[in-house]
Amino acid sequence: MDLKDLLDMDLVWLNQPVKSRQEIFNLIGEKAFIKGKANELFSEKLAEREAVFPTGLQLKNYGIAIPHTDPEYINEPFIAVLTSEEGVEFNRMDDASEAVNVNIVFVLGLMEPHQQLSILQELMKCIQSEEFLEDLRSSRNKQNVLSVFNQEY
Amino acid sequence: MNSSVKKVLVACGTGIATSTVVVERVKKLLADNGIKADVEQIKISEAKGKQDNADLIVSTTILPTTYEIPTVIATGYISGMNAEQIDQKIINILQ
Repeated sequence: MDLKDLLDMDLVWLNQPVKSRQEIFNLIGEKAFIKGKANELFSEKLAEREAVFPTGLQLKNYGIAIPHTDPEYINEPFIAVLTSEEGVEFNRMDDASEAVNVNIVFVLGLMEPHQQLSILQELMKCIQSEEFLEDLRSSRNKQNVLSVFNQEY
Repeated sequence: MNSSVKKVLVACGTGIATSTVVVERVKKLLADNGIKADVEQIKISEAKGKQDNADLIVSTTILPTTYEIPTVIATGYISGMNAEQIDQKIINILQ
């Protein structure tokens, strides 16, 4: 299974006018629940986990975040993507007292660690590619997103 | 620690996501440098209880408390920023 196989186009939001992390968690959590991929507690648990162990990452040119929570709230593995033109404030994974303005959020709906190693490695490789992030951020429709995920970076 | 096999705890908030990638990276790093080690993936909340038998905690996430053994923050393995410096820190502690 590849990273792109976990991508569900119903769980992709481009240039979403969101004002807060909570809004992002609600949006994604609700849709993931409706699609049967996560249970109804998912958005709440995402928010709780993010408050204790933040997931914001400051990369060279971009701020991104990879919110996730315990596997018990997931029914089927998935990756949701949300991009924001203005950005939303997250705290940094390595220092919760520091904020980072995040333009791309990858919400990870993960289950067993060993089955998903290659997917996580692929995701980290993508995250570390400025070109991938640039292409994703400039995607104007879901077809663009699909081609970005189908491309090698 | 007198044992020649080192024990390394690799932690993240959930013990299933970022630590999964870091475990593989650390295992390879140690093997490449001839350091024998048992690498265990944990949630950072478990680190306090497991530190007695370990030589090092490598964490991608913030440390909620202090520990009696050395710690290395390895968020750079996820972001790709300063990853080589993290490699070096880990080797220096375990060698």
